[in-house]
Amino acid sequence: MMRYWWLGPILIAVLLLPLLIGEFWVHVAIEILILGLFAMSFNMIFGYMGQLTFGHAAYFGVGAYATGLLLVKTAVPLPICLAVSMVAAGIFALIIGYFCVRMTGIYFAILTMAFGQLLYYIIFQWYSFTGGDDGLQGIVPPEWLISASAYYYFTLFIVVAALIVMWFISESPFGYTMRSIRENADRTRFIGINVRQYMLINFVVAGMFAGLAGGLLGPFNRSIAPDLCNWHQSGVPVFMTVIGGPLGFFGPMIGSVIYTFLFAFVTGFTEYWPLTIGLVIIFVVLFMPGGVLGLAQSKLKIMGAKDLAPEEQESTDTETY
Amino acid sequence: MDASLVFAQFLSGLSRGMMLFLISSGLSLIFGVMNILNFAHATLWLVGAYFCYTFWFLLQDYAFGLWLSILLAALTLAAIGALIEVVLIRRVYQRDLPEQLLLTYALVLILGDLIKIVWGVEDKLIERPSVVESPVFIFGMPFDSYFIFVILIGLSVAVGLWWFLQKTRYGHIIRAAVFSREMVSALGIPIPRIYTGVFALGIFIAGLAGAVQAPVGSITLGMDMAVVIQAFCVVVIGGFGSLLGTFVAAIIVGEVYAFSILFWPQGALVLIFIVTAFILVIRPWGLFGRPTRT
Repeated sequence: MMRYWWLGPILIAVLLLPLLIGEFWVHVAIEILILGLFAMSFNMIFGYMGQLTFGHAAYFGVGAYATGLLLVKTAVPLPICLAVSMVAAGIFALIIGYFCVRMTGIYFAILTMAFGQLLYYIIFQWYSFTGGDDGLQGIVPPEWLISASAYYYFTLFIVVAALIVMWFISESPFGYTMRSIRENADRTRFIGINVRQYMLINFVVAGMFAGLAGGLLGPFNRSIAPDLCNWHQSGVPVFMTVIGGPLGFFGPMIGSVIYTFLFAFVTGFTEYWPLTIGLVIIFVVLFMPGGVLGLAQSKLKIMGAKDLAPEEQESTDTETY
Repeated sequence: MDASLVFAQFLSGLSRGMMLFLISSGLSLIFGVMNILNFAHATLWLVGAYFCYTFWFLLQDYAFGLWLSILLAALTLAAIGALIEVVLIRRVYQRDLPEQLLLTYALVLILGDLIKIVWGVEDKLIERPSVVESPVFIFGMPFDSYFIFVILIGLSVAVGLWWFLQKTRYGHIIRAAVFSREMVSALGIPIPRIYTGVFALGIFIAGLAGAVQAPVGSITLGMDMAVVIQAFCVVVIGGFGSLLGTFVAAIIVGEVYAFSILFWPQGALVLIFIVTAFILVIRPWGLFGRPTRT
């Protein structure tokens, strides 16, 4: 455990954070945690299974709508709402994943994106149930979570708990089977593993965590809009993971810190956020392959560096269709 | 429901299918030759529509103003396509899939905002010339005469592309490059120039499609979003890289859309997805695609 000594100081800093910074930045911190969980759930499919999904926002959105609708229309307590979010997102991931795990590589990316977009149109058009493009307003968290710092601690608790579960999954035989599928699906099949079924299970679990992250978002923003499920939103975890580095466990969370800070900073003085982030993405893709964590890992050898597969192996894998 | 209504609906589905074919054929061509999935394809299609509006605005007093604008817009887009390939896409051929996809995704974001900056957020409307203004009557049913023009453009691009790929020297080179870049390159043919040409050609067709779409209704921001998904469905159903597959799939999707509008207007997209999912389960590589790609 000595390798993870640095988690101690970070945890203390994260716990003390609301005492040190203003309310605006507490909001930013909550968003970092929520989007970070979203990006890490994406990375269960991308980093561990080796498939790029461009429709992950669908499960994020389903989770957000499940909790949002329950809070607006019923009196169900928030933790149960979040559990429902996970189950709902998991069911949708099961249906969509059933078709998508038949494909790999670029086809997987297109299919996940297309099905995610289908879900977006359903939510967008179903006025009577989802409020259509007006979204849902008045999603109020329970009394004890009204203040920003209370919601921060609640989110922190949920996200850390989720990360611990994800960590155990990634270190379990199941997690190593996923890595093996990423490296060579054929050989994994030869040793008697039902690759498609394992991929589907992983897809569903990742969808459930995305749903949990989505569920946390509604009560935080007090409202949700169908744009959450849009494929623009699906690009966010892709970018976070690429900038943070997909092969370290915490990579996507670091990407979330960078992305969310940038968002809070840039939207302060311009409405052209897509233009700005688009230029940043192009810069990162062209000049910073491997992301920030990749850069740091090559220098510092920290943060679960043992997960780091050789560069060449990763690239051959993504070219296998 | 009588036969003439069915026929009118069939024609409207055909024109929709031809529009989808124009958009997806470039997407499929670029993917087939360069192995790059261009997320920004539909956004460039929209840029084509906006350029058509601008040229039409400048040329509206002249005879053939609209037809000239459509051609000019398509050529402008071809130039933009060549520029994008040389400046950006060329740098990521050797990279992994997520980086390639992120790059074209970034283009969607950038172009979306640039459209807002250049053309503003108001809808744009092009007045049609008198030739295609009034409906034609087919079996007594009114039918938008402009759609006849869309169908004709779609068919001529399909035939033109087929002729270009099958019958010309450049077409042969492009088809050879799909199988082996190295071999083509070893014969002394400059692959980078071929790739720039293919990308420009794909974007030219997208621009042409956008310009042809422009006078159909008003041009609005975000139009590209609904189209990109349908274009992806078309290439998935048809099989990537297959021109014939794209053509057939575009007509299928267009007709499914046109007929589902009659029975279940909100469900048109859902139905397209059900068709897509069904075809994937029985033929994961699409109707006309090859089972495996190397």
